[in-house]
Amino acid sequence: MSTASTASAPAATTAGTTNRSRLRALSAQAWLVAPALIFLFIFFVLPLVDNGQRSFVVGDNHWSLANYNKLFFDRYYLGVLGQTIGLSVVVSAICLVLGYPLAYYLVRYAGRWRSLIIFLLVAPLLTSIIMRTFGWRVIFARRGMLNNFLIETGLIDAPIHFLNGPISVIVGLVHVLVPFMVLSIASVLQGINPRLEESAQILGAGRTRTFLLVTLPLSLDGIGTGTILVFMLTCGSFVTLLLLGGGSIHTLPLLIYQQFNTTRDLSLASAMSNVMLVIALICLYIQLRFIRRKGVKG
Amino acid sequence: MRRALKSMPLLGLHLYVIAFFAFMLLPIVVVVLVGFSSTDYIVFPIEGFSLKWFWRVYEYKPFLQSFVVTFEVAIVSTVLAIILGVPAAIGLARSDHPAASVVMTMLLSPLSMPAIILGFALLFYLSMLGFGVSLLSLIIAHTVVAIPYIVRTVAAVYRSLAPSLEEVALILGASRWQTFRHVTLPLITPGISAGALFAMLLSIDNLPLSYFFGSPGTSTLPVVMLSYLENQFDPAIAAVSTLQLAVAVIILVVIERIYGLRGLSAA
Repeated sequence: MSTASTASAPAATTAGTTNRSRLRALSAQAWLVAPALIFLFIFFVLPLVDNGQRSFVVGDNHWSLANYNKLFFDRYYLGVLGQTIGLSVVVSAICLVLGYPLAYYLVRYAGRWRSLIIFLLVAPLLTSIIMRTFGWRVIFARRGMLNNFLIETGLIDAPIHFLNGPISVIVGLVHVLVPFMVLSIASVLQGINPRLEESAQILGAGRTRTFLLVTLPLSLDGIGTGTILVFMLTCGSFVTLLLLGGGSIHTLPLLIYQQFNTTRDLSLASAMSNVMLVIALICLYIQLRFIRRKGVKG
Repeated sequence: MRRALKSMPLLGLHLYVIAFFAFMLLPIVVVVLVGFSSTDYIVFPIEGFSLKWFWRVYEYKPFLQSFVVTFEVAIVSTVLAIILGVPAAIGLARSDHPAASVVMTMLLSPLSMPAIILGFALLFYLSMLGFGVSLLSLIIAHTVVAIPYIVRTVAAVYRSLAPSLEEVALILGASRWQTFRHVTLPLITPGISAGALFAMLLSIDNLPLSYFFGSPGTSTLPVVMLSYLENQFDPAIAAVSTLQLAVAVIILVVIERIYGLRGLSAA
């Protein structure tokens, strides 16, 4: 310990061992993660790459952009893309409007009902998607519950065609997806200190102003997460469209299903799923890049 | 008077919440009741009570067969996902390495992929590898989707544990395996069971994924239900849905009783 050089020697050794033990810890971590990562690489990444390749191959193994040309410039397919995105925007917006008050209630007023409400939100997961769609078919049928009710109360004279149109599709999708919106928003509202709202009110802001200027801006992350999540899930859904849409709305997943079943233009179907993949990746990017808190997805 | 006016919005909110859950439960209640209908056609409210549609479900071979396939696939794929996902979650949860968050995003990414794309892509890829339409292919597909649920819930629960618990065990002379077996594993079990519950429930109902692997021996329940609906529109679908709901509730209760479900909120 008499000279500077001997003093620095033990320090260097300690640094060396911590580095080495860090490295060992890191390699232990790598071994733990490797099996899952390799499995997903082989059975998740590679199939999507393979699918991507197939979309560029037309006819006898020659490469072309014909499929994408069709999807982006043919009027019919452009319409399908438009309907897919349009429907997703509408469903996300309705879920937001219906879900926000519920999330707010859950966080601020639910009290001892809290766990019951969470259970009721998650419970539909216990039922099959076919069950829920089937239920809406029974309710919306021409001589079904809703039409009977409307006729008996004198609101309408003749049954309305709810089924096989946009109304039943939108109701069916909102019913399936609104819980995701509620939980995304609630997880962010949870983190907002109620005192901020109280302070605003003490300082003279009314309920509406407090909500618009304090609560709403603070919960934007939850709104963003929920909206992107619902948007993405609507883009990819097809059971509801198949059973409640009756061919009135054409979306990409429905078309993939049809191509697979009847037309069997697999290369075109691959291109369509590639377009959907890109939409999903854009949503994922927005979520990771712009939304700090990850809400229920995190 | 002023107080009554002030509580008006709150009353409105209460009523809204009740209406919301009426909306959420309506189609489910309707289907359960239709399942007990005695008529050959679907009518609501039902005109008579009988169990004949449950008998019909029992007699209709494809339903029974697909029940077996569905649960086989759900259980095996969830177990595989636990084997692959739990170590990964433990490896990543406390890592501050810059690559850790990238790898985590990668492991969770199947959640963001529409199942129909994955099903379609996997069918051709697995056929290329020689698996084709088989139970194995179906299990692989469902495992891909199950892994993120396990990783997410286990990572969340593991992150909430104090690292000192494992350190104490190691200092007291336990081997790494003993530490895992007797300290870590019991503590993360509620996370595993919550993730497994979600993975199983979503596997049972994952029609867009299972659809592509449909054949007499590999059709899951929703695939058979869909093809039944395309030909007939009778209360048998309601009865089979009700049975499926009952089984799902039983799974929920059993997992909750045996392992607990802390970490469910993380799922």
